[in-house]
Amino acid sequence: MSVGLWTEKYRPSSLDEMVDQKDIVERLKSFVEARNIPHCIFAGPPGTGKTTAALCLAHDLYGEGYREHLMELNASDERGINVVRETVKTFARIRSIGEIPFKIMILDEADNMTSDAQQALRRTMERFTETCRFILIANYSGKIIEPIQSRCAPFRFTYLPKEDLVNRLRYIAEQEGARVWDEGIDAVLEVSEGDLRRVINTLQAAASMSKPIDSETVYSVIGRANPVDVREMIILAMKGDFLGARERLREMILKYGVAGSDIIRQIHIEIFRLEVPERWKIKLADAVGEIDFRLVQGADEEVQLSALLAKLVEAGYEMRRSV
Amino acid sequence: MYAAWTAKHKPRSLSEVVGNREAIQEIVRWVKSWDRGVPRQRAAFLYGPPGVGKTVCVESLANDLNMELVEKNASDYRTEEAVQRFAGLASQYGTLFGRKRLILFDELDGITGTEDRGGLRAITSIVKTAMCPVVLIANNAYDPRFSALRNYCLLIEFRKPPIVEVVKHLRRVCVREGIEAEENALRFIAQRSEGDVRSAVNDLQALGQGKKRLTYEDVSWLAFRDRKEAIFDVLRLIFYAKSCEAAKKAMDMTDVDPDMLFEWIYENAPHQLQDLHDLAKAMDALAVADLYRGRIKSTQDWKLTRYVVDFMTAGVAMAREKPTLGWVPFRFPERIRMLSRTKQERELRSQIGMKVRRRCHISSVRAVKEVLPYLRIIFESNTEMAASIAEWLDLDEAMVEYLAGGKARTIMKHLG
Repeated sequence: MSVGLWTEKYRPSSLDEMVDQKDIVERLKSFVEARNIPHCIFAGPPGTGKTTAALCLAHDLYGEGYREHLMELNASDERGINVVRETVKTFARIRSIGEIPFKIMILDEADNMTSDAQQALRRTMERFTETCRFILIANYSGKIIEPIQSRCAPFRFTYLPKEDLVNRLRYIAEQEGARVWDEGIDAVLEVSEGDLRRVINTLQAAASMSKPIDSETVYSVIGRANPVDVREMIILAMKGDFLGARERLREMILKYGVAGSDIIRQIHIEIFRLEVPERWKIKLADAVGEIDFRLVQGADEEVQLSALLAKLVEAGYEMRRSV
Repeated sequence: MYAAWTAKHKPRSLSEVVGNREAIQEIVRWVKSWDRGVPRQRAAFLYGPPGVGKTVCVESLANDLNMELVEKNASDYRTEEAVQRFAGLASQYGTLFGRKRLILFDELDGITGTEDRGGLRAITSIVKTAMCPVVLIANNAYDPRFSALRNYCLLIEFRKPPIVEVVKHLRRVCVREGIEAEENALRFIAQRSEGDVRSAVNDLQALGQGKKRLTYEDVSWLAFRDRKEAIFDVLRLIFYAKSCEAAKKAMDMTDVDPDMLFEWIYENAPHQLQDLHDLAKAMDALAVADLYRGRIKSTQDWKLTRYVVDFMTAGVAMAREKPTLGWVPFRFPERIRMLSRTKQERELRSQIGMKVRRRCHISSVRAVKEVLPYLRIIFESNTEMAASIAEWLDLDEAMVEYLAGGKARTIMKHLG
């Protein structure tokens, strides 16, 4: 049995190993040949190879000791302005020793940086261009302020095509000696949303159950990985059981640590799957959107979501009355 | 098993008694002086506020000096006749087998004029003639009832021990009970008890029994126990106010932190508002109040607080159109309790997230969300794979246990 998590074990270490995002990889390779890179923004959905591409680029540029010339910061964990003023600046200003005169700073999940921090970053990027190049990684480049965008070469990562996901899955399964039925692979892909990380994690968790992987194994993994039944909570609320629904909500947030933004995203999906009159769906979506916006403004997840649940209670009652 | 900790961890020796070193020295000196003949004062009168260790001191003293302790307290009849029957004992210095005797009249404040008629007079006469040390204990030695008695006694005052001493004692109890307690949690309990060691230990037991760790969060809600009545009044005023003004005024009646009051209202709204439209309006008012809290957090503009107050009080009050049927009791904010119960879990979770981050190039937040659920499945179903991952991520035992539950031990064995 292998060591560690397969997502890391099978992460390509060089641009040559990257099979997807062909256009992007070609452009990055030309940077390596020129021994020079501009500041970059890698934008695109999760699990499409953004971080991998950045790491591969650094590897190909500096060789095996590339870690010495590289700093990886994750804006979700360190997103305040002080990080930019201290950590980033200190790293950026010191010249690299070696053939290539600049270092690389990878700012992952950069769309989570506060706008203050982004403003501070803008100056740093300019002043220390000679000694440091930045690669900003984000799901949405739109959340990165205009002045930074204009200083960076943009790269748009796209969803991986289905056959590439299948090939990757089969390759890893073969290497690990895990047997996977076709229906198992279909099931993995069905829920992966094109996210290779999720595909591989699902595969490894399914393989850990030590038997040939069929669709049933995959579904049980998915069920266990998402213990949260948002649909059930919505239905409870619409039947009028506010307290029961609030209890579920609490469990999700406090016990399983599910983020409010994820719960609301799921509620939004479920609303349109409900068996309710069509005109109600759009009304409910409006209510969901309002709560989503409030969460962005820094309001408390449980309080906001339970206000939404109370609205669902009301909506459920109105619907029953009008039937 | 479920003995009261005040009894279980009562000091057995004077060296363990909390505080009051001077008073203790004085009483020891006086008892020892009996060895050189009957002293001028045949009784010692210990007085001071409840729970500072008066009785414990006498019991420990008897224990340390190997004396036989004969005790009468408020649970015994203390009429003239009853006390006189007792007096025989006091007329001789030692017991038959040479063990010296110590007579204790505890809880003298509780002696009543009717039930215990003549009791004090009888005690006074014993004190005058006793051939062995007599100790009297009361909260207030200067009660006029004791004025005759007082003249024959050595008065020794017991004071509230300093907080640090109380904390030390609580720490001792925690060690014996195998509880790892945060310093500020113990300090909070000690401070609140205002020098009453007994009530501090009682609180400690109520909060800490059966726990391995006691945190500040665990104890801080004690504060609400005292003020619960006050909070209930405020809640009543808010939920049943007829005007915005009245609901907002209720806020001023309490010194409870507005965030805490918010939790109380948030918890109780669904119980107090039975009509679903009323409830939806009230929950929305709370959500708007909360939204302003969020805005304050992000802008640091504290003057917005007034809107928080508007919506959480008046907003909730005005949501009601239908009356509540029957009396509905108020409940303690469950969320607060859950938060402190799940605190350790949440900490562990984010620690695992940090470990994953170091290896997998994603933020700890996303690691918790996206990787941890799969880890849990692997750890529950495949010990070998789990052990290799645990080693690779450098997880400690608590983290493995969090992920694997019952399987944790086999995984740890694999790791050696």
